[in-house]
Amino acid sequence: MPVLKFKIDYLLKNIPYADLETIRDALFRLKCETEILEDGFLEVEINPDRPDMYSLEGLVRAVKGLLGTERGWSRPSTQNTSITVEVSNVETRPYIAAAVVYNVNIRDDEDLRQLIQFQEKLHDTIGRRRRKVAIGFHDLDKLPSRQLYYKALRIDEIEFPPLGIGYAKKASKILVETEQGQKYGYISLKGELHPFLLSGSDVIAMPPVINSNITRIEVGTKHLFIDVTGTNKEGVEKVLDIIVSNLAERKGASIGQVQVLYNGAQTTYPSLKTVETVLDLDYVNNILGYSLEPHRAIELLGYMRYNAYFMEGKRVRVEIPPFRADYISPIDLVEDIAIAIGYEKLQPRRPEKYTRGQLLYKNEIKRTLRDLLVGMGFTEVMQLSLVSPDDVELIPKKPIFIKNPVQRDYSVLRTDLIISLLGVLRQNQLLKKPVKLFEIGRIAYLAENQEIVEKDMIALAVMDDEMSIEKIQSPLYTLLDILGIEYSVSSECTEQIFIQGRCGSLMLGNQKLAEFGEVNPEILEKQNIEYPIAYANIDLEVLTKWSSKTLHRQ
Amino acid sequence: MKKEFKVSRSEYELLKKLARIGIEEADIEELARELGVNKSTLESLLRLLAEKGVIGIEETEEISYSLTNKGEEALSQGLPEEQLIDLILSGTSSLEEIRSKLGNIAGIAIGQALKKKYIMIKDGKIVLQVDPDQAKKEISNLKMILEKIPEGIKEVPKDLLKRGLVKKTRIKKERVKILVPLDEVLDNVVVEVSALTRDLIRSGEWRQVALKKYDITALPPREYPARKHYLSEFIEMLRDILKEMGFKEVEGPIIELELFNFDLLFQPQDHPAREIHDTLWIKEGRVREVIPEELLDRVSRVHSSGWRYEWSADIARRLVLRSQTTSVSARILVSKPKPPLRVFTLGRVYRSDVVDATHLPEFHQLDGLDGDNAYTFRDLLGVLKEISERLGFEIKFKPGYFPFTEPSVEGYVRLPNGKWLELFGAGMMRPEVLEMAGIDYPVGAWGFGVERLAAAYYGLTDIRHLYTKDLRRIQLSKIKL
Repeated sequence: MPVLKFKIDYLLKNIPYADLETIRDALFRLKCETEILEDGFLEVEINPDRPDMYSLEGLVRAVKGLLGTERGWSRPSTQNTSITVEVSNVETRPYIAAAVVYNVNIRDDEDLRQLIQFQEKLHDTIGRRRRKVAIGFHDLDKLPSRQLYYKALRIDEIEFPPLGIGYAKKASKILVETEQGQKYGYISLKGELHPFLLSGSDVIAMPPVINSNITRIEVGTKHLFIDVTGTNKEGVEKVLDIIVSNLAERKGASIGQVQVLYNGAQTTYPSLKTVETVLDLDYVNNILGYSLEPHRAIELLGYMRYNAYFMEGKRVRVEIPPFRADYISPIDLVEDIAIAIGYEKLQPRRPEKYTRGQLLYKNEIKRTLRDLLVGMGFTEVMQLSLVSPDDVELIPKKPIFIKNPVQRDYSVLRTDLIISLLGVLRQNQLLKKPVKLFEIGRIAYLAENQEIVEKDMIALAVMDDEMSIEKIQSPLYTLLDILGIEYSVSSECTEQIFIQGRCGSLMLGNQKLAEFGEVNPEILEKQNIEYPIAYANIDLEVLTKWSSKTLHRQ
Repeated sequence: MKKEFKVSRSEYELLKKLARIGIEEADIEELARELGVNKSTLESLLRLLAEKGVIGIEETEEISYSLTNKGEEALSQGLPEEQLIDLILSGTSSLEEIRSKLGNIAGIAIGQALKKKYIMIKDGKIVLQVDPDQAKKEISNLKMILEKIPEGIKEVPKDLLKRGLVKKTRIKKERVKILVPLDEVLDNVVVEVSALTRDLIRSGEWRQVALKKYDITALPPREYPARKHYLSEFIEMLRDILKEMGFKEVEGPIIELELFNFDLLFQPQDHPAREIHDTLWIKEGRVREVIPEELLDRVSRVHSSGWRYEWSADIARRLVLRSQTTSVSARILVSKPKPPLRVFTLGRVYRSDVVDATHLPEFHQLDGLDGDNAYTFRDLLGVLKEISERLGFEIKFKPGYFPFTEPSVEGYVRLPNGKWLELFGAGMMRPEVLEMAGIDYPVGAWGFGVERLAAAYYGLTDIRHLYTKDLRRIQLSKIKL
């Protein structure tokens, strides 16, 4: 979840009549967790559905609404500029939108930091780490020309001074030598071609990688030229709308339109598109379990910065402002109404209807087995099901590996519970013998035909100074006897785990129910275990199927 | 009141034996021999009886003398000075000659003879100074004493000890004295036993004996009982709560199609949570499951119109380690159950997290679905409140965000330390989700991570302790009553 920092002084200055606690409380009700940092900043965790709150202006707008000091939204004043962007065919990143915001006035470092934070958080979330959408901020007064061009050019033929570097460099070098180049250079590059934004003949941006130093913004910058590029037209337009409508909240700010020419068609940006929808209050009330009248709903929607108007009956017309990126369908208005009411004011309703609870039959069996095994002196352990590739080597089953593991120790699913039990036994060799333990858990592996097999198993092990097969047979047979299972004994077993001639299986018809034996000392040696171990496992899927069939027959 | 003598069973047996042989006083060593018992066992029993005032033990010291090797030699071959006199009498007088003849005793012989003034040395010659008979008489007196030593004598001239012919040894002796007539003791004795035995009960002897009092403040050794694991106990407690509330348990695979883990939950395919940093894919393997075309069509339609992108069925068919048990809820919804719907699932989920005190690569999640024809958001809040109260926690609600629910809510519970723990993620299933699944009534969904709550419940600061390899930790884990 995006975590942002805002200067507390700025928040208090922008939200008069509210103290910090009131602001924090309002933010909590707007889904944000906050923490006061020592350096005079407020850390705010903002949910990814509200990118419009990633800047101070948007955050303040939302808080003021919820506190009731401002309502609804009014369209900022807009004027024409003579700026045009001519788009040629940019295959990897076809869409661009641009706009001007006058009188943004970057007064100090905090203004600048906050603006860059806004840009970065938009990149990381709605921009999908710049793949879908990327933003460039430019100082309008530094634009070399009002004729702009967006096109794909060869990286070995273009050079410009990248942001933060005072001299011109080949674009191909920028991709290799700068941090941004390494991180984002692959996104829109195709062969030698990469998108560029030119002002006259000067490169002012290489989206989505880096801007030119020529138009850099800094403290003292008055007006902004903003370009937004991407692979999704609506995404590009939406991001521009969010930025522009947020920056337009600044005192004295106004918007300048930019013409984008593409294939002979001309589009004016920003679009500042609003969406209109009709909200039926019965719908709202049915979902919330509440009874709202239209006038109250209009008021609540206003607190959430929507413009809402009476229609006939219980219907309300709602205008969704251009900065709300999260609106998909009327249900999203229902949540905002609930937020405006305050979740704490919605009375929780206790379950009244009678329904019959039930556990999985398999889990009922697990409980029984757990009780019996503890009674026989076995202690239950629980281990992670992700293990290391070295661990699964012991078992003659094809393991399921994670394609993109984080740590090698947790990169493959266990194919047998013995892996986990040996790991525990190794660390308990100094305890008084015998050491007896069990685990109930899932194993997974690939069958011959590459099909995935997932199974719940129960495994038990005994470690002692001296071993005899009865030490594992006795509890195993006793357990199955108590459950009334009639099994047949077979001398077949997985010889890789066990000592040849000192292991066996229990069969239910032609299905293998259990396997048991003395663990091969070769394995013990590899695992650094000095004591003999006997091990058994029971296939819970077989057991469950068998016993549910038996029960149904009764 | 008669004096009672409390004795152990073995003290009692000894008293009886002593009474039988009827002694008043005896040396312990001799007594052991006579009774045919081990001396140190007897000694410790007698000391116990002495503490009780029945007998007294007196320690004495005896001195005895014995011949050393030198002494034995002097007795058989004559004292060195005696041999010197004999040599002189036989006519040898040269000092050199005498030295060579007497060998290693020459020094002592000459020294002793000079000291006793039997001889004098003049011009390299030894000359007798006394009457040889007189000297020999003196010497034979000494020899007589030496001869008597093995028989035992009380005093020995210091000179013999000094010359190392005789050795002095001190021997400690313990004597036992009966202080209270044994018959009287035996008449008033009470036998104390430390352990009640089958023999005592069967013979009826338990009536005569007294059971020794314990020092009840002494600490016993602790047991290491076989136990169920505390995390599994916690999980079973959660299952019971859900069962009591009328929820039916369901399950699903841990290796899951993205369709159920993401797409049906309205997670767009380019969502950051579906990127390499957050999702664990499997390297190889396939499932037999056939996804109905009609379901894929609905998912495609809803994603394309809701999120505005081109949805891909191939992405939906990829296999992941499920990141949330909500995948099971998605499977349940697709099976189109009739209302009322009240199910839960509890199982492991997997995340791209590096293991540390607060993160595990896998943990358990509890996920529930609750739906009915007139089900509302307030009903959902009621279920969350009910679950947390049954767990013993106060709850507060905060709006939240999940791609598949709206309105969404986060439930915070107040821990015993007063801190609020973000526990539940919940909300009403979005109409888009219900449309994809084909459900026509409102459904609430909720879920939470088990380990974080379990750690808080047991007061663990390191979540890794839930997967401990230390059996003692499991066996001695505390239970909350």
